[in-house]
Amino acid sequence: MPANVIPSASVRWHGRTVFQCVDARALLRYAAPVIAVLLWQGACSAGIVSTRLVASPVQVIMTGWGLLRDGTLGANLGVSLARAAAGLAIAVVLGVGLALVSGLSRLGEDIVDAPLQILRTLPALAMVPLFILWFGIGETPKIALVALGATFPVYLNLHKGIRSIDPRLLEMTRTLGLSRMQTIRDVILPGALPDLLVGLRFAVGMSWLMLVVAEQVNAESGIGHMMMEAQDFMRTDIIMVGLVIYGLLGLVSDQVVRLMERAFLSWRPVHGRGQAA
Amino acid sequence: MNAVAMADGMHDVTPSRDGGVAVHGLTRRFGHGPAVLDGLDLTIAPGEFVALLGHSGSGKSTLLRTLAGLDPVHEGTLARPDAVSVVFQDSRLLPWKRVWDNVVLGQAGADRRERAVAVLGEVGLGHRVDAWPLTLSGGEAQRAALARALVREPAFLMLDEPFAALDALARLKMQRLVARLWARHGCAVLLVTHDVDEALMLADRAIVLDHGRIRTDLAIPLDRPRHHADPGFIHLRGALLDALGVHDD
Repeated sequence: MPANVIPSASVRWHGRTVFQCVDARALLRYAAPVIAVLLWQGACSAGIVSTRLVASPVQVIMTGWGLLRDGTLGANLGVSLARAAAGLAIAVVLGVGLALVSGLSRLGEDIVDAPLQILRTLPALAMVPLFILWFGIGETPKIALVALGATFPVYLNLHKGIRSIDPRLLEMTRTLGLSRMQTIRDVILPGALPDLLVGLRFAVGMSWLMLVVAEQVNAESGIGHMMMEAQDFMRTDIIMVGLVIYGLLGLVSDQVVRLMERAFLSWRPVHGRGQAA
Repeated sequence: MNAVAMADGMHDVTPSRDGGVAVHGLTRRFGHGPAVLDGLDLTIAPGEFVALLGHSGSGKSTLLRTLAGLDPVHEGTLARPDAVSVVFQDSRLLPWKRVWDNVVLGQAGADRRERAVAVLGEVGLGHRVDAWPLTLSGGEAQRAALARALVREPAFLMLDEPFAALDALARLKMQRLVARLWARHGCAVLLVTHDVDEALMLADRAIVLDHGRIRTDLAIPLDRPRHHADPGFIHLRGALLDALGVHDD
Protein backbone atom coordinates (compact mmCIF):
# COMPACT_ATOMS: atom_id res chain seq x y z
CA MET A 1 0.00 0.00 0.00
CA PRO A 2 2.11 2.92 -1.19
CA ALA A 3 -0.35 5.44 0.19
CA ASN A 4 0.36 4.10 3.68
CA VAL A 5 4.07 3.66 3.40
CA ILE A 6 5.12 6.97 1.96
CA PRO A 7 3.87 9.28 4.76
CA SER A 8 5.27 7.17 7.62
CA ALA A 9 8.62 6.84 5.90
CA SER A 10 8.84 10.53 5.21
CA VAL A 11 7.98 11.37 8.80
CA ARG A 12 10.71 9.13 10.13
CA TRP A 13 13.15 10.52 7.65
CA HIS A 14 12.16 14.02 8.58
CA GLY A 15 12.74 13.31 12.27
CA ARG A 16 16.22 12.06 11.56
CA THR A 17 17.21 15.05 9.43
CA VAL A 18 16.65 17.40 12.34
CA PHE A 19 19.49 15.72 14.19
CA GLN A 20 21.59 14.96 11.18
CA CYS A 21 21.38 18.52 9.92
CA VAL A 22 23.32 19.89 12.88
CA ASP A 23 26.08 17.30 12.55
CA ALA A 24 26.12 17.54 8.78
CA ARG A 25 26.52 21.30 8.78
CA ALA A 26 29.32 21.24 11.32
CA LEU A 27 30.94 18.39 9.42
CA LEU A 28 30.62 20.26 6.14
CA ARG A 29 32.28 23.33 7.59
CA TYR A 30 35.36 21.30 8.45
CA ALA A 31 35.12 19.01 5.47
CA ALA A 32 35.20 21.73 2.82
CA PRO A 33 38.74 22.97 3.54
CA VAL A 34 39.97 19.40 4.03
CA ILE A 35 38.54 18.42 0.64
CA ALA A 36 40.14 21.49 -0.92
CA VAL A 37 43.54 20.48 0.47
CA LEU A 38 43.03 16.90 -0.74
CA LEU A 39 42.14 18.16 -4.23
CA TRP A 40 45.24 20.35 -4.16
CA GLN A 41 47.38 17.37 -3.16
CA GLY A 42 45.72 15.24 -5.83
CA ALA A 43 46.35 17.84 -8.51
CA CYS A 44 50.03 18.06 -7.56
CA SER A 45 50.50 14.29 -7.34
CA ALA A 46 48.78 13.72 -10.68
CA GLY A 47 51.04 16.30 -12.27
CA ILE A 48 48.16 18.57 -13.28
CA VAL A 49 49.76 21.44 -11.37
CA SER A 50 53.50 21.97 -11.60
CA THR A 51 55.13 21.63 -8.16
CA ARG A 52 57.53 24.33 -9.23
CA LEU A 53 54.68 26.81 -9.19
CA VAL A 54 52.70 25.37 -6.28
CA ALA A 55 54.17 23.04 -3.72
CA SER A 56 51.94 20.16 -2.65
CA PRO A 57 50.52 20.15 0.89
CA VAL A 58 52.64 17.15 1.85
CA GLN A 59 55.70 18.95 0.57
CA VAL A 60 54.79 22.09 2.55
CA ILE A 61 54.42 20.06 5.71
CA MET A 62 57.70 18.23 5.14
CA THR A 63 59.55 21.48 4.39
CA GLY A 64 57.98 23.15 7.42
CA TRP A 65 59.09 20.25 9.62
CA GLY A 66 62.57 20.43 8.14
CA LEU A 67 62.84 24.19 8.70
CA LEU A 68 61.60 23.72 12.24
CA ARG A 69 64.18 20.99 12.98
CA ASP A 70 67.19 22.86 11.61
CA GLY A 71 66.19 25.98 13.54
CA THR A 72 65.64 28.24 10.52
CA LEU A 73 61.94 28.64 11.16
CA GLY A 74 62.31 29.21 14.90
CA ALA A 75 65.00 31.86 14.47
CA ASN A 76 63.11 33.76 11.78
CA LEU A 77 59.82 33.47 13.63
CA GLY A 78 61.46 34.81 16.76
CA VAL A 79 62.80 37.83 14.88
CA SER A 80 59.40 38.51 13.28
CA LEU A 81 57.55 38.16 16.56
CA ALA A 82 59.97 40.50 18.31
CA ARG A 83 59.52 43.13 15.58
CA ALA A 84 55.75 42.88 15.65
CA ALA A 85 55.66 42.98 19.45
CA ALA A 86 57.97 46.01 19.64
CA GLY A 87 56.04 47.89 16.95
CA LEU A 88 52.70 47.03 18.48
CA ALA A 89 53.85 48.05 21.94
CA ILE A 90 54.96 51.44 20.63
CA ALA A 91 51.67 51.80 18.75
CA VAL A 92 49.60 51.02 21.84
CA VAL A 93 51.51 53.47 24.03
CA LEU A 94 51.41 56.17 21.33
CA GLY A 95 47.80 55.56 20.29
CA VAL A 96 46.46 55.41 23.85
CA GLY A 97 48.46 58.48 24.85
CA LEU A 98 47.31 60.57 21.91
CA ALA A 99 43.70 59.42 22.26
CA LEU A 100 43.70 60.37 25.94
CA VAL A 101 45.11 63.82 25.16
CA SER A 102 42.61 64.53 22.38
CA GLY A 103 39.70 62.73 24.02
CA LEU A 104 39.91 64.35 27.42
CA SER A 105 40.52 67.97 26.52
CA ARG A 106 39.28 70.26 23.79
CA LEU A 107 42.66 71.92 23.40
CA GLY A 108 44.25 68.50 23.04
CA GLU A 109 41.74 67.55 20.38
CA ASP A 110 42.45 70.71 18.40
CA ILE A 111 46.18 70.07 18.50
CA VAL A 112 46.29 66.30 18.09
CA ASP A 113 43.24 65.21 16.13
CA ALA A 114 43.52 67.21 12.90
CA PRO A 115 47.14 66.23 12.07
CA LEU A 116 46.39 62.60 12.86
CA GLN A 117 43.29 62.58 10.69
CA ILE A 118 45.37 63.93 7.81
CA LEU A 119 48.20 61.42 8.38
CA ARG A 120 45.67 58.62 8.61
CA THR A 121 44.64 59.07 4.99
CA LEU A 122 48.22 58.36 3.86
CA PRO A 123 48.75 54.69 3.04
CA ALA A 124 51.34 53.74 5.65
CA LEU A 125 53.15 51.49 3.18
CA ALA A 126 53.92 54.52 1.02
CA MET A 127 56.27 55.59 3.80
CA VAL A 128 58.62 52.63 3.18
CA PRO A 129 61.13 54.52 0.95
CA LEU A 130 61.23 57.44 3.34
CA PHE A 131 61.63 55.17 6.37
CA ILE A 132 64.56 53.41 4.75
CA LEU A 133 66.23 56.76 4.06
CA TRP A 134 65.53 57.97 7.59
CA PHE A 135 66.19 54.84 9.62
CA GLY A 136 68.53 52.83 7.38
CA ILE A 137 68.05 49.11 6.86
CA GLY A 138 68.33 47.82 10.43
CA GLU A 139 65.54 46.94 12.83
CA THR A 140 64.39 50.54 13.31
CA PRO A 141 62.51 51.08 10.01
CA LYS A 142 60.68 47.75 10.38
CA ILE A 143 59.53 48.42 13.93
CA ALA A 144 58.69 52.01 12.98
CA LEU A 145 56.56 50.84 10.07
CA VAL A 146 54.62 48.42 12.27
CA ALA A 147 54.18 51.14 14.88
CA LEU A 148 52.98 53.63 12.28
CA GLY A 149 50.37 51.30 10.85
CA ALA A 150 49.10 50.04 14.21
CA THR A 151 48.91 53.42 15.97
CA PHE A 152 45.94 54.69 13.98
CA PRO A 153 43.43 51.94 14.76
CA VAL A 154 44.28 52.26 18.47
CA TYR A 155 44.00 56.05 18.41
CA LEU A 156 40.84 56.28 16.31
CA ASN A 157 38.87 53.69 18.24
CA LEU A 158 39.86 54.86 21.71
CA HIS A 159 39.19 58.48 20.75
CA LYS A 160 35.74 57.52 19.48
CA GLY A 161 35.15 55.48 22.64
CA ILE A 162 36.02 58.38 24.93
CA ARG A 163 33.91 60.82 22.93
CA SER A 164 30.87 58.57 22.86
CA ILE A 165 30.63 58.02 26.62
CA ASP A 166 26.98 58.42 27.59
CA PRO A 167 26.63 62.08 28.68
CA ARG A 168 23.95 61.00 31.16
CA LEU A 169 26.57 58.97 33.03
CA LEU A 170 28.88 61.99 33.16
CA GLU A 171 26.00 64.09 34.46
CA MET A 172 25.37 61.47 37.13
CA THR A 173 29.00 61.60 38.27
CA ARG A 174 28.68 65.37 38.61
CA THR A 175 25.69 65.04 40.91
CA LEU A 176 27.67 62.50 42.96
CA GLY A 177 30.51 65.02 43.28
CA LEU A 178 33.17 62.84 41.66
CA SER A 179 36.48 64.55 40.93
CA ARG A 180 37.84 64.82 37.39
CA MET A 181 40.38 62.07 38.06
CA GLN A 182 37.76 59.78 39.58
CA THR A 183 35.49 60.36 36.58
CA ILE A 184 38.28 59.47 34.16
CA ARG A 185 39.24 56.37 36.13
CA ASP A 186 35.78 55.04 36.94
CA VAL A 187 33.67 56.20 34.00
CA ILE A 188 35.56 57.34 30.92
CA LEU A 189 38.32 54.73 30.73
CA PRO A 190 36.17 51.66 31.50
CA GLY A 191 33.50 53.01 29.17
CA ALA A 192 35.98 53.37 26.33
CA LEU A 193 37.65 49.99 26.93
CA PRO A 194 35.41 48.04 24.50
CA ASP A 195 36.39 50.45 21.72
CA LEU A 196 40.07 50.24 22.70
CA LEU A 197 39.94 46.45 22.36
CA VAL A 198 38.30 46.74 18.94
CA GLY A 199 41.11 49.10 17.98
CA LEU A 200 43.66 46.64 19.33
CA ARG A 201 42.27 43.87 17.15
CA PHE A 202 42.58 46.05 14.06
CA ALA A 203 46.05 47.10 15.19
CA VAL A 204 47.22 43.50 15.54
CA GLY A 205 46.02 42.70 12.02
CA MET A 206 47.64 45.86 10.74
CA SER A 207 50.98 45.06 12.37
CA TRP A 208 51.25 41.70 10.58
CA LEU A 209 50.49 43.42 7.30
CA MET A 210 53.17 46.04 7.92
CA LEU A 211 55.64 43.38 8.97
CA VAL A 212 55.18 41.37 5.76
CA VAL A 213 56.09 44.37 3.65
CA ALA A 214 58.90 45.57 5.92
CA GLU A 215 60.55 42.14 5.92
CA GLN A 216 60.23 41.66 2.20
CA VAL A 217 61.61 45.01 1.17
CA ASN A 218 64.82 45.01 3.09
CA ALA A 219 65.65 42.43 5.67
CA GLU A 220 68.32 39.97 6.75
CA SER A 221 66.02 37.79 8.82
CA GLY A 222 62.40 37.17 9.63
CA ILE A 223 59.61 35.16 8.01
CA GLY A 224 59.28 37.67 5.16
CA HIS A 225 62.99 37.49 4.48
CA MET A 226 62.84 33.70 4.51
CA MET A 227 60.11 33.87 1.86
CA MET A 228 61.97 36.37 -0.31
CA GLU A 229 65.10 34.22 -0.18
CA ALA A 230 63.04 31.21 -1.19
CA GLN A 231 61.74 33.17 -4.16
CA ASP A 232 65.30 33.44 -5.50
CA PHE A 233 65.62 29.63 -5.43
CA MET A 234 62.08 28.98 -6.73
CA ARG A 235 61.25 27.23 -3.45
CA THR A 236 57.47 27.57 -3.49
CA ASP A 237 57.30 25.13 -0.57
CA ILE A 238 59.19 27.52 1.71
CA ILE A 239 57.13 30.47 0.52
CA MET A 240 53.99 28.55 1.41
CA VAL A 241 55.36 27.62 4.82
CA GLY A 242 55.77 31.37 5.36
CA LEU A 243 52.18 32.01 4.26
CA VAL A 244 50.91 29.35 6.65
CA ILE A 245 52.92 30.88 9.50
CA TYR A 246 51.53 34.37 8.77
CA GLY A 247 48.03 32.94 8.70
CA LEU A 248 48.52 31.15 12.01
CA LEU A 249 50.04 34.27 13.60
CA GLY A 250 47.03 36.33 12.57
CA LEU A 251 44.63 33.70 13.85
CA VAL A 252 46.38 33.24 17.21
CA SER A 253 46.81 36.97 17.90
CA ASP A 254 43.17 37.63 17.09
CA GLN A 255 42.17 34.91 19.54
CA VAL A 256 44.39 36.47 22.20
CA VAL A 257 42.56 39.81 21.85
CA ARG A 258 39.21 37.99 21.95
CA LEU A 259 40.26 36.35 25.21
CA MET A 260 41.21 39.79 26.55
CA GLU A 261 37.75 41.04 25.62
CA ARG A 262 36.16 38.15 27.45
CA ALA A 263 38.28 38.81 30.53
CA PHE A 264 37.89 42.59 30.66
CA LEU A 265 34.31 42.95 29.48
CA SER A 266 32.72 40.30 31.66
CA TRP A 267 30.09 42.86 32.69
CA ARG A 268 28.47 42.64 29.29
CA PRO A 269 25.48 40.31 29.31
CA VAL A 270 26.81 38.34 26.32
CA HIS A 271 29.91 37.31 28.24
CA GLY A 272 28.56 37.67 31.71
CA ARG A 273 25.79 35.10 31.74
CA GLY A 274 25.33 33.87 35.28
CA GLN A 275 28.00 36.20 36.60
CA ALA A 276 25.93 37.36 39.54
CA ALA A 277 27.61 35.64 42.45
CA MET B 1 29.58 68.86 21.79
CA ASN B 2 32.08 68.16 24.45
CA ALA B 3 30.48 65.63 26.67
CA VAL B 4 33.58 65.09 28.71
CA ALA B 5 34.24 68.65 29.75
CA MET B 6 32.57 69.41 33.03
CA ALA B 7 31.26 72.92 33.47
CA ASP B 8 31.03 74.14 37.01
CA GLY B 9 27.67 75.80 37.25
CA MET B 10 27.47 76.36 40.95
CA HIS B 11 28.87 79.84 41.57
CA ASP B 12 25.63 81.28 42.87
CA VAL B 13 24.68 78.37 45.04
CA THR B 14 25.14 79.05 48.73
CA PRO B 15 24.89 76.31 51.33
CA SER B 16 21.74 76.70 53.36
CA ARG B 17 22.16 76.92 57.13
CA ASP B 18 19.16 74.92 58.25
CA GLY B 19 19.29 72.15 55.60
CA GLY B 20 16.28 73.49 53.72
CA VAL B 21 16.08 74.79 50.17
CA ALA B 22 15.40 78.44 49.30
CA VAL B 23 15.06 79.73 45.74
CA HIS B 24 14.46 83.41 45.04
CA GLY B 25 13.79 85.12 41.73
CA LEU B 26 15.27 82.24 39.72
CA THR B 27 15.08 83.07 36.02
CA ARG B 28 16.47 80.95 33.26
CA ARG B 29 16.18 81.37 29.52
CA PHE B 30 17.94 79.60 26.65
CA GLY B 31 19.26 82.06 24.08
CA HIS B 32 16.74 84.78 23.41
CA GLY B 33 13.71 82.55 23.84
CA PRO B 34 11.02 82.93 26.46
CA ALA B 35 12.00 82.35 30.09
CA VAL B 36 11.84 78.67 31.04
CA LEU B 37 11.95 79.68 34.70
CA ASP B 38 10.47 83.12 35.34
CA GLY B 39 11.35 84.75 38.65
CA LEU B 40 10.59 81.56 40.54
CA ASP B 41 10.40 81.50 44.34
CA LEU B 42 10.37 78.20 46.20
CA THR B 43 11.06 77.18 49.76
CA ILE B 44 11.36 73.62 50.96
CA ALA B 45 11.63 73.13 54.70
CA PRO B 46 14.10 70.60 56.14
CA GLY B 47 12.53 67.16 55.99
CA GLU B 48 9.63 68.31 53.85
CA PHE B 49 8.37 66.16 50.99
CA VAL B 50 7.36 68.30 48.00
CA ALA B 51 5.92 67.00 44.75
CA LEU B 52 6.50 69.06 41.63
CA LEU B 53 3.96 68.69 38.86
CA GLY B 54 3.46 70.39 35.53
CA HIS B 55 3.08 69.77 31.85
CA SER B 56 6.02 68.96 29.63
CA GLY B 57 7.93 72.17 28.98
CA SER B 58 6.70 73.85 32.16
CA GLY B 59 10.28 74.10 33.48
CA LYS B 60 10.24 71.12 35.88
CA SER B 61 13.40 69.58 34.51
CA THR B 62 15.23 72.90 34.34
CA LEU B 63 14.34 73.63 37.96
CA LEU B 64 15.52 70.22 39.09
CA ARG B 65 18.73 70.46 37.06
CA THR B 66 19.44 73.87 38.58
CA LEU B 67 18.79 72.58 42.09
CA ALA B 68 21.07 69.61 41.37
CA GLY B 69 23.86 71.94 40.25
CA LEU B 70 23.82 70.62 36.67
CA ASP B 71 22.61 73.93 35.24
CA PRO B 72 24.07 77.29 36.28
CA VAL B 73 22.22 80.01 38.15
CA HIS B 74 22.18 83.09 35.90
CA GLU B 75 19.57 85.21 37.64
CA GLY B 76 18.33 84.84 41.18
CA THR B 77 19.66 83.06 44.22
CA LEU B 78 19.64 79.48 45.36
CA ALA B 79 20.47 78.14 48.80
CA ARG B 80 20.47 74.43 49.46
CA PRO B 81 22.28 71.90 51.63
CA ASP B 82 25.66 70.58 50.51
CA ALA B 83 24.58 66.98 50.82
CA VAL B 84 22.19 66.46 47.92
CA SER B 85 21.43 63.39 45.82
CA VAL B 86 19.56 62.89 42.57
CA VAL B 87 17.69 59.86 41.25
CA PHE B 88 16.94 60.15 37.54
CA GLN B 89 14.27 58.54 35.44
CA ASP B 90 16.89 56.09 34.22
CA SER B 91 19.10 54.41 36.79
CA ARG B 92 22.40 55.58 35.26
CA LEU B 93 24.38 52.78 36.83
CA LEU B 94 27.85 52.15 35.46
CA PRO B 95 27.52 48.81 33.67
CA TRP B 96 31.16 47.91 34.36
CA LYS B 97 30.88 48.12 38.11
CA ARG B 98 28.99 45.64 40.25
CA VAL B 99 25.86 46.91 41.96
CA TRP B 100 27.53 47.47 45.33
CA ASP B 101 30.43 49.31 43.70
CA ASN B 102 27.97 51.57 41.88
CA VAL B 103 26.23 52.41 45.13
CA VAL B 104 29.39 53.67 46.83
CA LEU B 105 30.89 55.19 43.67
CA GLY B 106 33.32 57.94 44.65
CA GLN B 107 32.94 57.16 48.37
CA ALA B 108 36.14 56.59 50.28
CA GLY B 109 36.77 54.42 53.31
CA ALA B 110 37.52 50.82 54.18
CA ASP B 111 33.87 50.11 55.01
CA ARG B 112 32.63 50.94 51.51
CA ARG B 113 31.28 47.49 50.86
CA GLU B 114 29.59 47.16 54.25
CA ARG B 115 27.85 50.50 53.73
CA ALA B 116 26.73 49.47 50.26
CA VAL B 117 25.42 46.13 51.50
CA ALA B 118 23.53 47.84 54.33
CA VAL B 119 21.79 50.37 52.11
CA LEU B 120 21.06 47.78 49.42
CA GLY B 121 19.37 45.70 52.10
CA GLU B 122 17.32 48.74 53.01
CA VAL B 123 15.98 49.10 49.45
CA GLY B 124 15.34 45.36 49.16
CA LEU B 125 18.31 44.51 46.93
CA GLY B 126 20.33 42.54 49.44
CA HIS B 127 20.37 39.55 47.09
CA ARG B 128 21.80 41.52 44.12
CA VAL B 129 24.84 43.07 45.79
CA ASP B 130 27.37 41.46 43.43
CA ALA B 131 25.25 41.48 40.28
CA TRP B 132 26.21 43.34 37.11
CA PRO B 133 23.82 46.27 36.48
CA LEU B 134 22.85 45.04 33.01
CA THR B 135 21.37 41.92 34.58
CA LEU B 136 18.98 43.93 36.78
CA SER B 137 15.32 44.49 35.99
CA GLY B 138 14.08 48.07 35.60
CA GLY B 139 12.70 48.15 39.14
CA GLU B 140 15.87 46.65 40.61
CA ALA B 141 18.02 49.19 38.76
CA GLN B 142 15.96 52.07 40.16
CA ARG B 143 16.28 50.58 43.65
CA ALA B 144 20.05 50.51 43.18
CA ALA B 145 19.96 54.15 42.03
CA LEU B 146 17.94 54.99 45.14
CA ALA B 147 20.49 53.17 47.29
CA ARG B 148 23.28 55.16 45.61
CA ALA B 149 21.45 58.37 46.49
CA LEU B 150 20.77 57.33 50.10
CA VAL B 151 24.25 56.09 50.96
CA ARG B 152 25.43 59.72 50.75
CA GLU B 153 22.99 60.63 53.56
CA PRO B 154 21.52 63.59 51.68
CA ALA B 155 19.76 66.42 53.47
CA PHE B 156 17.92 67.06 50.21
CA LEU B 157 16.93 64.27 47.81
CA MET B 158 15.74 65.01 44.28
CA LEU B 159 13.71 62.40 42.43
CA ASP B 160 13.25 63.14 38.73
CA GLU B 161 10.30 60.98 37.62
CA PRO B 162 12.08 57.99 39.11
CA PHE B 163 9.21 55.55 38.58
CA ALA B 164 8.02 56.75 35.16
CA ALA B 165 9.69 53.93 33.25
CA LEU B 166 8.48 51.16 35.59
CA ASP B 167 5.44 48.95 35.19
CA ALA B 168 2.43 49.74 37.37
CA LEU B 169 3.17 47.10 39.99
CA ALA B 170 6.83 47.98 40.35
CA ARG B 171 5.83 51.65 40.58
CA LEU B 172 3.48 50.99 43.51
CA LYS B 173 6.19 49.03 45.33
CA MET B 174 8.71 51.80 44.71
CA GLN B 175 6.31 54.46 45.98
CA ARG B 176 5.86 52.54 49.22
CA LEU B 177 9.59 52.06 49.50
CA VAL B 178 10.21 55.80 49.05
CA ALA B 179 7.58 56.61 51.68
CA ARG B 180 9.28 54.23 54.15
CA LEU B 181 12.77 55.52 53.41
CA TRP B 182 11.69 59.14 53.74
CA ALA B 183 10.10 58.43 57.11
CA ARG B 184 13.34 56.82 58.27
CA HIS B 185 15.88 59.26 56.83
CA GLY B 186 13.91 62.46 57.26
CA CYS B 187 15.56 64.31 54.38
CA ALA B 188 13.84 67.00 52.35
CA VAL B 189 12.55 65.52 49.08
CA LEU B 190 11.58 67.07 45.77
CA LEU B 191 9.72 64.57 43.59
CA VAL B 192 9.15 65.53 39.98
CA THR B 193 6.21 63.54 38.67
CA HIS B 194 3.37 63.47 36.15
CA ASP B 195 1.28 61.29 38.38
CA VAL B 196 -1.24 63.15 40.55
CA ASP B 197 -1.96 60.06 42.66
CA GLU B 198 1.74 59.54 43.29
CA ALA B 199 2.09 63.13 44.48
CA LEU B 200 -0.90 62.79 46.80
CA MET B 201 0.28 59.45 48.21
CA LEU B 202 3.73 60.70 49.11
CA ALA B 203 4.04 64.47 49.47
CA ASP B 204 3.36 67.08 52.17
CA ARG B 205 2.85 69.67 49.50
CA ALA B 206 2.22 69.65 45.76
CA ILE B 207 3.46 72.44 43.50
CA VAL B 208 2.22 72.95 39.98
CA LEU B 209 4.65 74.68 37.64
CA ASP B 210 3.33 76.55 34.62
CA HIS B 211 5.40 78.62 32.21
CA GLY B 212 8.27 78.87 34.65
CA ARG B 213 6.18 80.06 37.61
CA ILE B 214 4.54 78.30 40.48
CA ARG B 215 0.87 78.36 39.65
CA THR B 216 -0.47 76.33 42.54
CA ASP B 217 0.98 75.49 45.92
CA LEU B 218 -1.25 72.93 47.55
CA ALA B 219 -0.75 71.56 51.08
CA ILE B 220 -1.67 67.88 51.48
CA PRO B 221 -2.69 67.59 55.13
CA LEU B 222 -3.60 63.90 54.98
CA ASP B 223 -2.56 61.32 57.57
CA ARG B 224 -0.25 58.55 56.52
CA PRO B 225 -0.59 55.86 55.30
CA ARG B 226 -2.88 57.32 52.71
CA HIS B 227 -5.60 55.65 50.70
CA HIS B 228 -6.96 56.42 47.27
CA ALA B 229 -10.55 56.06 48.48
CA ASP B 230 -10.20 58.59 51.30
CA PRO B 231 -12.64 61.54 50.76
CA GLY B 232 -9.85 64.06 51.49
CA PHE B 233 -7.68 62.32 48.91
CA ILE B 234 -10.42 62.47 46.29
CA HIS B 235 -11.04 66.12 47.04
CA LEU B 236 -7.37 67.07 46.70
CA ARG B 237 -7.10 64.97 43.58
CA GLY B 238 -9.84 67.09 41.98
CA ALA B 239 -8.13 70.30 43.08
CA LEU B 240 -4.76 69.20 41.73
CA LEU B 241 -6.17 68.03 38.41
CA ASP B 242 -7.99 71.34 38.17
CA ALA B 243 -4.71 73.18 38.66
CA LEU B 244 -3.18 71.09 35.89
CA GLY B 245 -6.03 72.06 33.59
CA VAL B 246 -7.63 68.61 33.55
CA HIS B 247 -11.33 69.02 34.27
CA ASP B 248 -14.01 66.41 34.87
CA ASP B 249 -16.79 66.77 32.36
